[in-house]
Amino acid sequence: MMGRFPRPKRIRTRLTLYYVGMVAGVLALYFAGVSVLLFWQASNILKSLGAEDLETVKGLLYHGEDGQVNLREDYHHHSDWKQVQERLLEILSPGGAILYRNERLGDRTVGGPPFPGEGEHGYSGRRAKMSDGTPIILISRKYDLQGETILIRVGYSEDLIWNELRGTLLVLVLASPLILAGTAYAVYATVGRALAPVSKMAHRAEQINSERLSERLPVENEEGELGHLAGVFNAMLSRIEQSFEQLKRFTADASHELRTPLAAIRSIGEVALQDHAGPAEYRDAIGSMLEEVNRLTTIVESLLVLSRADSGQIDMQVSVFPLAALVRESAALLEVLIDDKQISFTLLGDESVGVQGDRLYIRQAVINVLHNAVKFTPAGGSISALIRCEGDSRVRLSISDTGPGIPSAHASRIFERFYRIDEARAAGQGGAGLGLSVAKWAVSENSGEIGVTSVPGSGAQFWILLPAVGCSASGAHSRN
Amino acid sequence: MRRPARPGRANRFSMRILIVEDEDKMARALRAGLEAEQFSVHVAATGEEGFFLASTENYDLVILDLMLPSHDGMEVLGALRHKRLSVPVLILTSKDTVEDRVRGLDAGADDYLVKPFAFSELLARIRALLRRGRPEPAGILRLADLEMDAAGRVVSRGGRELALTAREFDLLEYLLRQQGRVVSREMLARDVWQETARYTPLDNVIDVHIAHLRRKLDEPFGRKLLHTVRGVGFVLREEAS
Repeated sequence: MMGRFPRPKRIRTRLTLYYVGMVAGVLALYFAGVSVLLFWQASNILKSLGAEDLETVKGLLYHGEDGQVNLREDYHHHSDWKQVQERLLEILSPGGAILYRNERLGDRTVGGPPFPGEGEHGYSGRRAKMSDGTPIILISRKYDLQGETILIRVGYSEDLIWNELRGTLLVLVLASPLILAGTAYAVYATVGRALAPVSKMAHRAEQINSERLSERLPVENEEGELGHLAGVFNAMLSRIEQSFEQLKRFTADASHELRTPLAAIRSIGEVALQDHAGPAEYRDAIGSMLEEVNRLTTIVESLLVLSRADSGQIDMQVSVFPLAALVRESAALLEVLIDDKQISFTLLGDESVGVQGDRLYIRQAVINVLHNAVKFTPAGGSISALIRCEGDSRVRLSISDTGPGIPSAHASRIFERFYRIDEARAAGQGGAGLGLSVAKWAVSENSGEIGVTSVPGSGAQFWILLPAVGCSASGAHSRN
Repeated sequence: MRRPARPGRANRFSMRILIVEDEDKMARALRAGLEAEQFSVHVAATGEEGFFLASTENYDLVILDLMLPSHDGMEVLGALRHKRLSVPVLILTSKDTVEDRVRGLDAGADDYLVKPFAFSELLARIRALLRRGRPEPAGILRLADLEMDAAGRVVSRGGRELALTAREFDLLEYLLRQQGRVVSREMLARDVWQETARYTPLDNVIDVHIAHLRRKLDEPFGRKLLHTVRGVGFVLREEAS
């Protein structure tokens, strides 16, 4: 909406102006009401006084010798009635001919020709205009004066009323600036106090940056709207701080991970150049460097995948497929590793349960979790996979191993990027510590959850929860 | 890097390859590697030069880097295809999103290789592009005393039949078809395992399969055929000890 005036920017100013405007409007209405009421009352009083006056006038009328209507004025010479002094008197014949006008009226007329029925049944009281335009209150009545019908009109200028009311209204009008100023001050102060937390919050928020993410907004009253707002912002800050911390750690870890093979390449190269070695040694050195390059490549590729995943650049191709077949396929891929360690692998559960998601990424997640289990299960151990419906719409795949398990301190962090329980051990195995974090990403991206429960010493159980299709039909005979 | 010119050898197959690559080290390594494989190689360091050479000379293949100064590879490719030059183009790039690939292939590229790549992978792609349309030779595959009937799924060494699993057989067949050439884990993952991505568990699986294959193929016999090229991959060949 376009206003004629620019809207003030500050809520405080706006509210103050708004309230002052409202109060001014209410005051104006009030004044108008009071004026109308007082005027009405005063004109009623004037009308009843006028009626009395009419009777008095009627009693003072007489026909002069010339047949003219006359008024005995002497009666009023001592009158201190303002109304009587101010009275405008006109006597008309029913036809409208002027029979008498008092001095004050002069040659003006009070109300023009009589309207039909004026003053016939009791007193007629009305507002009227004199011939010179002066507004008056006019009271009239028909009388019989010695056999002749006459219309007596008594008028009073409305100025009489206004003079009475002027004082009262003046007091009111003079008081209104005070009322408005008081309102403005009260609103300005109250709003200022109510909004004080906002400026405090803004001030504090200005100081929050990437180095000082631990700062929080002040919460003055948790129940209040602003307190709620501050709370919501603080929760958001916590989440940002958390992901920022994660990012910082990730960057630091990534640089560390990249630095390790780089250092190896450098040392191998430098040492190889120092010696006067033969072709076989040089070949060996180059081969060793290439191995490290492969490691670097793997890390960089995984990082690219994860960063692309983080920024939501990977599209999921959703389909429905049987989970058991996927697990079997993944196990078959790793079969050679499983067999090599003489690990027994079993898969139990409902064959028909389908999963809804991107098969490729879920397969990757399952392979990574399974590979992790194979890696940590000692020779001759066992790995068992179990597929079980949870409710109508979710299926849980549990993969239990007989490895050393995961100390509880590590269980929550095992899905973090580059996180390894045993730094030295995993580094030698060539993994970048990204398998489980890739699995976690792939599962959550497909509306699933991943986790691990473990009793140290008696194996770990990884579980993956995924959206299921076909659980409602077979859920009745799923085991618990 | 010292690079002696070997014109006589380079022209033996008379396959001419143009490399459009602005990074000197990369260009020199590619040139040396391809010349060692008997290709005749020209290098252009800018898009303009690349376009000029590709449109005036007759090449069998263009290897095109995408990140070039002034005119990038995509422009060069577009200009070549606009002139209706149908020379096969292999794109080299460090951009590996699906969109990048699609864009490159849409612009008329014949293949797409992401840096850093294994040189053996590049060689395999080049051969595939040059061979295009010609089927793999059927019949008996041989190396020294190793004999494979790929269709009949029978393999024997020195007359003794080898008992291989299906996967080991596929692996050996692939190595045998690429005999004498180094095969990287990426190539095995893609061509033998048919996996779209390479990842750590798969590398472990490949290594174990190679170990198994070696146990059956080489251990009972005196001479080693399956060699590991450290940091690069594997190669099946006869070595003079």
